[in-house]
Amino acid sequence: MTKLEVQNIALGYNQHPVVSGLSFRLEPGEMVGLIGPNGCGKTSIIKALSRVLETQAGQITLDGKDLHLFAHNDLARAIGVVPQNPALPENFTVAEIVLLGRTPYLGWLRKESSGDLALAWWAMQRTGTAVLYDRRLGELSGGERQRVTIARVLAQEPQVILLDEPTANLDINHQQEILNLIKGLCREKNLAVLIALHDLNLASQYCDRLILLKEGRIYADGRPQEVITAANIKAVYRSESLVYPHPENNLPVVMLSSKEIK
Amino acid sequence: MKKLALVFALVIVILPMLAGCQTAPTEGNVTDDLGRSVQIQGIPQRIISLAPSNTEIVYALGLEDRLIGVTTYCNYPAAAQEKPAVSEYSNVDIEKIVALQPDLVLADSIHKIDVIPALERMNIPVIALVSPTLEKLISNIALVGQICGQDEAAKSLNQSLQDRIETVAGQTRSMPDDEKQRVFFVTWHDPLWTVGSGTMINDLIEKAGGLNIAADLEGNQTMDLETVIQRNPQVIFVLSSMGDQDTSYNYILNEPRFQATEALKNSLVFRMDPDIFGRTAPRIVDGLEEMAQDIHPEVITTGAR
Amino acid sequence: MITANYGADRGPQAGEMALLLKNRRQRSFRLYSICGMSVALVVIAILVLTIGSVNIPLGTVWKVLLSHLPLVSINEDWPATTGMIITGIRLPRILMAGICGAALGVAGATYQGLFRNPLADPYLIGVAQGAALGASVGFLLPWTFLGSFFIPLLAFLGALVAVSVVYLVARAGKTLPVTTLILAGVAIGALLMSITSYITLISDDQIHGIVTWLVGRFSMSNWEQVALAAPYIAVGIVVILIFARPLNVMQLDEEQAQQLGINVERTKLILLAASTLITAAAVCFVGTIGFVGIIIPHAVRLIWGPDHRILLPLSALAGALLLILADTASRTIMPPTEVPVGIITAFLGAPFFLVLLRRRKKAVF
Repeated sequence: MTKLEVQNIALGYNQHPVVSGLSFRLEPGEMVGLIGPNGCGKTSIIKALSRVLETQAGQITLDGKDLHLFAHNDLARAIGVVPQNPALPENFTVAEIVLLGRTPYLGWLRKESSGDLALAWWAMQRTGTAVLYDRRLGELSGGERQRVTIARVLAQEPQVILLDEPTANLDINHQQEILNLIKGLCREKNLAVLIALHDLNLASQYCDRLILLKEGRIYADGRPQEVITAANIKAVYRSESLVYPHPENNLPVVMLSSKEIK
Repeated sequence: MKKLALVFALVIVILPMLAGCQTAPTEGNVTDDLGRSVQIQGIPQRIISLAPSNTEIVYALGLEDRLIGVTTYCNYPAAAQEKPAVSEYSNVDIEKIVALQPDLVLADSIHKIDVIPALERMNIPVIALVSPTLEKLISNIALVGQICGQDEAAKSLNQSLQDRIETVAGQTRSMPDDEKQRVFFVTWHDPLWTVGSGTMINDLIEKAGGLNIAADLEGNQTMDLETVIQRNPQVIFVLSSMGDQDTSYNYILNEPRFQATEALKNSLVFRMDPDIFGRTAPRIVDGLEEMAQDIHPEVITTGAR
Repeated sequence: MITANYGADRGPQAGEMALLLKNRRQRSFRLYSICGMSVALVVIAILVLTIGSVNIPLGTVWKVLLSHLPLVSINEDWPATTGMIITGIRLPRILMAGICGAALGVAGATYQGLFRNPLADPYLIGVAQGAALGASVGFLLPWTFLGSFFIPLLAFLGALVAVSVVYLVARAGKTLPVTTLILAGVAIGALLMSITSYITLISDDQIHGIVTWLVGRFSMSNWEQVALAAPYIAVGIVVILIFARPLNVMQLDEEQAQQLGINVERTKLILLAASTLITAAAVCFVGTIGFVGIIIPHAVRLIWGPDHRILLPLSALAGALLLILADTASRTIMPPTEVPVGIITAFLGAPFFLVLLRRRKKAVF
């Protein structure tokens, strides 16, 4: 049963449309990559899916029910978002931030129960931030803060996770850690995951399916081998490239063509 | 040749300094109440007053024909309101003053900072009159009379004022302290502002046979509500401000925490006219007599009321 | 309700125990802090009743207070003026200082949390300027109906109108962008302040009254004022306390807060309205006392951290304590005259900020 369905939506700021005529599906247990040049609408789509940005046309449904029909809290329990540059207050501790993820379950006046604390701990362990639990965010590095945000989202126990360029500021080993973590959870908990990535190779290696955007419309939607082709890259990115299958798993690998190097 | 050039240069440099010395202001012949030395040449014929108190003094000395400018608050005598206005309270129109070409301006202490220096730069003689006691008022009246060639008028006015003052003071001077009444003079109610030692009103209270409960304070100060109640005034005077609707007076009458004071128990709360008590002018002696009769109804005054 | 139920069905682990323990200890510490601060507040309030232009012994103060309790009979052996000074002058004054201090402390913490800005204070979006304009207009108008409540009423209305104007100017469709709110508040506040300055200048003889009001004083506090201000301030503070957790969540940016289920616009509106209400109620009677709203939340944060569930109640208690002490100082420094309490809080404020700047290594905000 389709988890999240997007039907023919249009999105924009003021009168300027960024995305139009967009339709796709997210299934549980599937990791979908959202790729395309900067400004093609990746962030706007993620905002629309979490109802932060209102659609100008079309409809988004979760479990068959229109997003607008969900109460704020219920939506927060179902969908978790890891934004691109999340603001994080310097003076809160890691544990306090991760516990904020329990907000949709706690209402306003209930204290955190030991169950909530246990879950927060688990989230911190999975993201490797448990050892930092009482450190203040101001003392952490960019990568550590990113993992804290992911832990916070995990604490929400969502069924859908949306991530906007979560690996942008990380070293290659951390990038792999995070993506391994996300993919593992995707499989383990049967989550529907949509991850916006700018690195085509990471997208190819990790995602079950890719959606390639060009100027606010879907240019291609399919498995990595179908979407990442030299022709598609040329059409969307206007760049000559070489696409070869990875020697170990045959997934497409993108290399810069020497023609582009001047 | 070189020597000549040197001497020439020295002369060029020194001469302007000597000339400067010569145009420096000479010592004046009058000292005003701000300690300024002012040169008054001849008898002033065009007088401007920058305070209602000064206007009243001018009229009292018969100098009104020479009065060419007043403030918007100068309302006594009524004729003063016909004169051209050059200022309000602290807002003074320097241009207007200069245009009227006065040869004497009578100012107040509030004009010290900007108005007086501005007038000095225009070479207009300014005298500031500040009278914190009745005695000082008398001497200031004499001063104005002397400057303006009205010594006789000044003497006779001062004589009459001094007689009236002495009539009152003579009766109260010999009163023992327990016969004198504790007086509280309110100038504003929120918080309670009163007048302490070194003010004209304090002088009045003493001469009127009162004991100012704020005598241990200096000048205009606030007083704690508690302290007023502790000191239990027997008579309360309330100054209503210009144009006020008696807010302070009504407050004192109605504040429940004052009801236990002797003044309110005996209904000895009096509203005082700001035009009389706010001005250090001859009418202040009217005020003295009014105050004396409020405090000691048995006191005889000779003044016109 | 379908949840993914990630892993709640396991037993506790070693590291988890550390978190649990810390959480429990923190909760106890906070509870004790609130109780301790409350007790300190009551004790100091009673002690301060003995101080004034005449010092009244604690025993007498105690007896006077007890005599007002029902079912208690005490031999009344104190002079009538003493009793009246304690219950008629000092007690309402201390209560007023406490209530206003609590209001300003909580409002300051709320504004700092809403705007996510350590320099925010309750007067940021025009409350003080609106109240000042209302009050100064009240001084000029010759109307005497409502007696001594005329000026507080105008001040209150002025505050509410000013903030409403700022809100309407800053509102963008259905949202209330925080930066626009600050800019509008500063601009309109400046405009109102200049009009107030002009009125002060032309007020001539009322200038005393206006300037004293602006600086802030408790000298004329009475039971009627306490009875009028207390309900507004109590209700406002309770509403804000209820929103403590959403305020925590809003320390992330507004998008993340929304994604966590907080109705961001509604929360902003309610918190803004409540803190404006309590500030206006405090300020309209006693004038615009500065620095309490900005010092107290910072001081509380230094010791207890940024969690609003402890920050807000302690800001109320600490604010009350500060203003009661400042007011006591105001009437004991130069008796029998008073140093306006706004001047004392300003004197405390400047060095406080210098100390704060030097300790910034500890990342106070």
